[in-house]
Amino acid sequence: MDFEIPEELKMMQSLVRDFVNDQLKPLERDILGRAADLSDTQMFLPEETEEKIVEMAQEVGLWGAGAPEELGGAGLGTLGSCLIEEELAQTIIPFNFGDVTPILFDCNTEQRENYFLPVLNRQKCAYLALIEPGKEAELATMETRAEKINEHYVLNGKKVSFSRAGNNYFAVVFATTEKGDRDKVTCFLVDKDTPGFSVSGGEERKGWQAQVRQPTTLAFDHCQIPLENILGEEGKAFHLGKRWLPSRRVIRGARCVGVAQRLLEEATTQAQSWQSFGQFISQRTSIEAALADIATFIHACRLMVYEAAWKADKGEPIRHEAAMVKLFATQMIHTVSDRVAHIYNGPPYISGLPMERLCRSVLAASATELTLELQRSIIAKDILKGVKV
Amino acid sequence: MPLRNQQDVKEVESILNEILNTHNPPVGRCRLLSSGFSPSHALNIVEDISGHKECLSCGNCIDICPFLFREPARREKTEQRTSMALESIVGEDCDQCGACILVCPQVDTTIKNYVVNRRMVEVMSRLEQRIGDEDEPDLDLFLEEVANTA
Repeated sequence: MDFEIPEELKMMQSLVRDFVNDQLKPLERDILGRAADLSDTQMFLPEETEEKIVEMAQEVGLWGAGAPEELGGAGLGTLGSCLIEEELAQTIIPFNFGDVTPILFDCNTEQRENYFLPVLNRQKCAYLALIEPGKEAELATMETRAEKINEHYVLNGKKVSFSRAGNNYFAVVFATTEKGDRDKVTCFLVDKDTPGFSVSGGEERKGWQAQVRQPTTLAFDHCQIPLENILGEEGKAFHLGKRWLPSRRVIRGARCVGVAQRLLEEATTQAQSWQSFGQFISQRTSIEAALADIATFIHACRLMVYEAAWKADKGEPIRHEAAMVKLFATQMIHTVSDRVAHIYNGPPYISGLPMERLCRSVLAASATELTLELQRSIIAKDILKGVKV
Repeated sequence: MPLRNQQDVKEVESILNEILNTHNPPVGRCRLLSSGFSPSHALNIVEDISGHKECLSCGNCIDICPFLFREPARREKTEQRTSMALESIVGEDCDQCGACILVCPQVDTTIKNYVVNRRMVEVMSRLEQRIGDEDEPDLDLFLEEVANTA
């Protein structure tokens, strides 16, 4: 048993840590806003600042770290991606090193030039159009239809996308080619200027509304999609990115670890600087207990994430482990934000603090009880099948 | 077809477990642990071949291998149908299901019984899990991906 992180990954981890501390953390005030009423709060960094950071990341060779080598990325394994994610999560700046969804990893050579590489190089945005308005998690009854007429498909329907908006975009649309049958869902790449394809919403908000994520609505009205724009195989949309998607769950677990780590740092500073009844609150046993609880949770979750990532890198199936990571990480971040609130002596939603943004985004991303129940059922099924835990 | 007095599994249990735990088609080595060809099944020839442990090249193991079912292209690498060929084309990708042992005419029934009683139950759930992983896409992964992409 070896708990040592490989030397090259350790070097990369310290590189990312320096990058986050020196380049990203000083920009946090720009995002959170300087005005007293927070009217200048933003969702994303200004364009030119972001360009500059991206250039810097490209210079140090961190760009495209998670994408596979055959697609032009650095091909870091799951453990490497987890380490990067953990460091990046420690700042509230919405930034990643060219993170492309693994759904696009299954592009063929032609699609790679036209769709994957532009996304990796930030020339295009990919709108993931899976969810339909009004039926959030209901994927089995998808209503967007694609009908094959002559040598192309005709696409009709409406989708909601949470992807970041941009000027140059294309949509990755999941549509049924046979109604009500989820095995017959096909994925299409729809260009921006396809006739009948329109986009509404998704404008960047300023002020307090910046914290509310505005989804983009994509409408398809008799869009003609050529056959070469099918991503992956026809009728097998949910088999896309099969090699990479399970480990994404572990990487998101690493994000929770990073956020919790930052919350612990913030809480420690607060505990050491705030006084009540003539002594620092860090001297109170309840605050000490809270700090100890947080640290223990973080440590446990980190070990789980690293172990699952190590297994994934060995090529072992990690469905079971990934489910456990997600279950535990989600609960962990809930508990940690709760305990941090105790130390701050108030709810975590105090506008203008990094803590607030961290809690809000991480809870929003993972606080879906339905999916937690699903993770539990994955784990329980394995136990009942006799898989040794 | 093995001899009447077959290999006592208790004598070879540790080495048999070692073989069954290795990621490689186990049939060839199980054959060598067996008692060998029985005289009652041999043609009436001058040479006494009873007790010989060679592979008969019947190809049963190649036909039954579930891995070669999934990747039939590997079968085209060789025309041979021996256990040696099976080991070279499957190698470490072996599912360790034990099917090749059960179909081999040269492996002792005692060893086959041991595999069925002691090993297959353990392997089944793992194989089942693997099959489940491959066939049923986890739609939840897609929802998470959509909700979390910046």
